[in-house]
Amino acid sequence: MKAFSNYHPAVEAVYFISVLLFAMFVQNPVIELSALVGGILFCCVILKSSEAAGNIGFYVPMFFLTAITNPLFSHNGVTPLFFLNGNPVTLEAFVCGIFTAVMVIAVMLWFRCYSEIMTSDKFLYLFGRTMPKLSLVLSMTLRFIPMFKRQMHRVSRAQKTMGLYSSKSFLDRIKSALRVFSAMIAWSIENSMETSASMKARGYGLKGRTNFSMFRFYAEDIILLSVCTVLSGITVSGIFMGKTTFYYYPKITELNLSLYSIFVYTAFCILSFLPFIIEVKERIKWKYYISKI
Amino acid sequence: MKKRLSYGIICLLIPFAVIGGAILFSGRMYAWITLCIAVLACVPFFIRFEKGRQNTKRLILIAVMTALSVVGRILFMPIPGFKPVTAMVVITAMYFGSEAGFMTGALSAVISNFYFGQGPWTPFQMFSWGFIGLIAGILSELLKRNKIILCVYAVISGVMYSLLMDIWTVLWADGYFNISRYFAAVISSLHFTIIYAVSNLIFLLLFSKPIGNILERMKDKFAL
Repeated sequence: MKAFSNYHPAVEAVYFISVLLFAMFVQNPVIELSALVGGILFCCVILKSSEAAGNIGFYVPMFFLTAITNPLFSHNGVTPLFFLNGNPVTLEAFVCGIFTAVMVIAVMLWFRCYSEIMTSDKFLYLFGRTMPKLSLVLSMTLRFIPMFKRQMHRVSRAQKTMGLYSSKSFLDRIKSALRVFSAMIAWSIENSMETSASMKARGYGLKGRTNFSMFRFYAEDIILLSVCTVLSGITVSGIFMGKTTFYYYPKITELNLSLYSIFVYTAFCILSFLPFIIEVKERIKWKYYISKI
Repeated sequence: MKKRLSYGIICLLIPFAVIGGAILFSGRMYAWITLCIAVLACVPFFIRFEKGRQNTKRLILIAVMTALSVVGRILFMPIPGFKPVTAMVVITAMYFGSEAGFMTGALSAVISNFYFGQGPWTPFQMFSWGFIGLIAGILSELLKRNKIILCVYAVISGVMYSLLMDIWTVLWADGYFNISRYFAAVISSLHFTIIYAVSNLIFLLLFSKPIGNILERMKDKFAL
């Protein structure tokens, strides 16, 4: 049940890149908060509930850690709360720490969603045409990894059966891993050279090869792409006009609440909630169709 | 012509991205600029790799070395920081040249992060590992001949990797280069720095000879 992952990979990539760039680099509490809330909602709808809870729970201590440590390192700001070892602990540094933590966690959650949606096959599809050699290397590597893991497991089991490395000591663990690893290297190069010979025999690198693509550009993709472009455009225009400018130091600036800046905030808010909206819409549709049957 | 065009695009793109980003993201300008530099520094190498004449064997060899370093990173997951990735990158560079070293380093970062989690640190890992490989490729004759230089390079690359990643941590958290936080980050990651350096040393000392022999033999056997 991942409606968002059914879109075209290019559209998804554009979407993730724009949200991540804004979330990472625009210093504004409203933008950062809406990116965080959007990220949490997105995680909640696409991950299994236990996994989502674990992911979000993992960041709670990190939040407090970042928020608390910032005033200790940064003594900028004009409103001292109290003094610690002769250094002022300022309100500005404290607030800045909180919103930095919000930003960091939002970006982490968005990257978690990114890796859930943009699987390696989509990644390869995106880069396969522009960089055929690079994507060949990428896809071969991705195919080698599980193969090597399996082979490595076999080698280490064989060595364990021979009575080697059964103790749990640190040195023994390293020694066994090293030995298994060097056995792997010879095996994998020999094995892959056969692959190369076979590829050559089947005419890899000759002219007239066609690409296999399984993604098509549908009307929905165009709609999502244009919505995403318009919303990002509004956000960029707001940034350029200084509507989102916000400084923590030396004194916290007042949030710009003009009509246009509220418009910009709304645009970014919708942008970061888009996947959540899409998923929920899809679920409602699903429920509705079932209940009619 | 096509080559010149792509280099021209890069030369235009880098200042454009940096200046445009600095205007757009004034609050976190420095984090943005370093991220841009890390990404764009890798691009010419990828283009050269793409445009150059590569035979299938070399492509697959890079794939194998990358896969091995990724599997190594997965295999040593229980011991944090103790990873053979740098060692594999350096060995690849020593025997197959700078380009193979750079590609193995950069691709190991991207691909292993499919397993360990992608993040804004990915371009920095690509950059760091890629350049460790590149320099090892340039110094390959020296590294092959002299064990002491190899050890020194192993330690330096571990320390540099850690220091480079700490720069990003600070820039990302503060938006500018806060020197006191940088020192705090360096000190708090000191045990990682030591583990990186020591693990590079151990892996290179243990592996460079046996793997080198294997690679030399493969070079003869398959005419790489």
